[in-house]
Amino acid sequence: MIEVSGLRKSFKDVAAVADISFRAENGAVTGLLGPNGAGKTTTLRMIYGLIQADAGQLRIDDVDVLRDPLSAQARIGVLPDTHGLYPRLTSREHARYAGRLHGLNGPNLERRIDALIETLEMSAIADRRVSGFSHGERTKVSLARALVHGPQNVLLDEPTNGLDVMSTRAMRGLIRRLRDEGKCVLFSSHIMQEVSALCDTIVILSAGRVAARGTPDELRSQTGHENLEDAFVALTGLDEVRA
Amino acid sequence: MRGLWAPLLVVLRKELVDGIRDRRSVMSALIPAVVWPVMIAAMLNFAAGKRQQADEIKIPVVGAEHAATFVDWLGQQRGVEVVDGPDDPYTAVREGDVDFVIVIPEDYNKLFAQAKTVELELVADGSDNDAAPFVGRARRLIEGYGRQMAMLRLVARGVSPAVASPLRIKEIEVSSPQQRAAMVMMFLPMFLVMAAFMGGMQIAIDTTAGERERGSLEPLLVNPAPRLAIVAGKWLASVVFACVSVGLTFFLLLRALERVPLEALGLRFQLGAPEIGAALAAVLPLALLASGLQVLVASFARSYKEAQTYVSFLMFVPLAPVFVEMFSQIDGQPWMAPIPLLGQHVLLTEALKGEPASFGAYVAAGVSVALAGWLCVLLTTRLFRREKIIFGR
Repeated sequence: MIEVSGLRKSFKDVAAVADISFRAENGAVTGLLGPNGAGKTTTLRMIYGLIQADAGQLRIDDVDVLRDPLSAQARIGVLPDTHGLYPRLTSREHARYAGRLHGLNGPNLERRIDALIETLEMSAIADRRVSGFSHGERTKVSLARALVHGPQNVLLDEPTNGLDVMSTRAMRGLIRRLRDEGKCVLFSSHIMQEVSALCDTIVILSAGRVAARGTPDELRSQTGHENLEDAFVALTGLDEVRA
Repeated sequence: MRGLWAPLLVVLRKELVDGIRDRRSVMSALIPAVVWPVMIAAMLNFAAGKRQQADEIKIPVVGAEHAATFVDWLGQQRGVEVVDGPDDPYTAVREGDVDFVIVIPEDYNKLFAQAKTVELELVADGSDNDAAPFVGRARRLIEGYGRQMAMLRLVARGVSPAVASPLRIKEIEVSSPQQRAAMVMMFLPMFLVMAAFMGGMQIAIDTTAGERERGSLEPLLVNPAPRLAIVAGKWLASVVFACVSVGLTFFLLLRALERVPLEALGLRFQLGAPEIGAALAAVLPLALLASGLQVLVASFARSYKEAQTYVSFLMFVPLAPVFVEMFSQIDGQPWMAPIPLLGQHVLLTEALKGEPASFGAYVAAGVSVALAGWLCVLLTTRLFRREKIIFGR
């Protein structure tokens, strides 16, 4: 469970996140939806502890992220915006490195890695060095790295970005499976269809604020638009001519 | 402390595996270790060879039959062998067939008997540096014989030879090959210090600037490991590479020096286990500072190439004490030990001379570079908290 309230962050004098509050429940998929620059990535980075919030509350399960960032990081698995890999290590070694940094070791760790390799259907590339991997393969390695410690909360920053159709379907399948396992999944996207197909709750961000929050149906009725994309446009204020 | 050590060792282990698989990192640790000993051995062998050759000299003489006594005397000098000169001495010297030729004129005996000055020709090519020691030796031999004859003539006329030699030069031989050898030996400590700086350089860059360039720093830092442990692990990986490089450089330098006839150069260079141990104790802790500086400086760079530019400026740092020593005649003083780099240089020089400094000096020197290295790690850890460094690519 992830709880965010009154979150604020400015870079120099630009407010990237002005005031964001939401709650992502266990056993549910929560989507952060918003146009580029709405503050999605900054919000996620504050949750996973790499950016210090200027103000606000951040809780992961029962841990205060600002007070005890390491314990908070132990409870989350993160697929960041950049999936930089080590070209001279194999897929399995990437997962092992992350697992060890989470304090796992020995046969227990190896069993988890084997299980993940099967789940992510990457046995063909498990023991190859990652240099020369396709974007889809690199994403799988990043996922294995993010999920190796079996985190209760999973944060995915634009997970389907740049993936082909098959990989996107596989990613959606994975997100559903994580939800069915009772995990709290929080992901960001700017793709309407994806969010509407996957999410139990949608948080629409615009200019660093929460523009709307609710289930897809609630959002439709809230705006009076039958089409979710129209609802999105109306909520983010993209249809207004800005000064 | 366990909270720091466990992730530190995880990072260290991963960076070592990654580093060993990186040809660039391995090469930067190996190349100096192999190239310098070969270079130093070649230079010393060359110098020794030169010197031995000048000791063993063949003197081509044209017209030997005109001055039998002189030629006999020449032949009796140590290491001298008189051979027949070429028919055309000028061309032969110009074309480099022989280094020089002594030409004795036909009227040698006639002039000599009349106590007049005989003109001997020493045909040589002044632009041929390689021939210089041989020509010099031949000239000294001729002048020596001439002086002897002058003395005899004076004595025969009842004049004290001292009258004709108001000045006497006592030559102290420091020929150029020897100087070269001495220079080479002076650079030996510098090679070890440079190895400490070069050995871990690439891995220090790869684990910091390389990590930023690849975009793998963000995924690394989302793991619940203290930043200090992560930075320290990277630092120690670089230290391990630097130490291996120093050890290998030293080992190969010693093996190379065994193959050089050092006695021929008048050099005493005998290293036993205590001297080797003292030298390593002096130089190995320096890796802590070298790698610390490199990790710190490379962390500012956004890419591998940028970092290489910054870090290569650091290569001038270990040269500083060498220059201090070259331009000022200060000997190693105990107070220098805790000054990073200067201390290592002094301790190393003394260890290689076979006069190791006190145990306290080693401890002081080691602790001071270790602290300086740790300070670099702390500063780098602060950098790793900056959003610009984590995300800025």
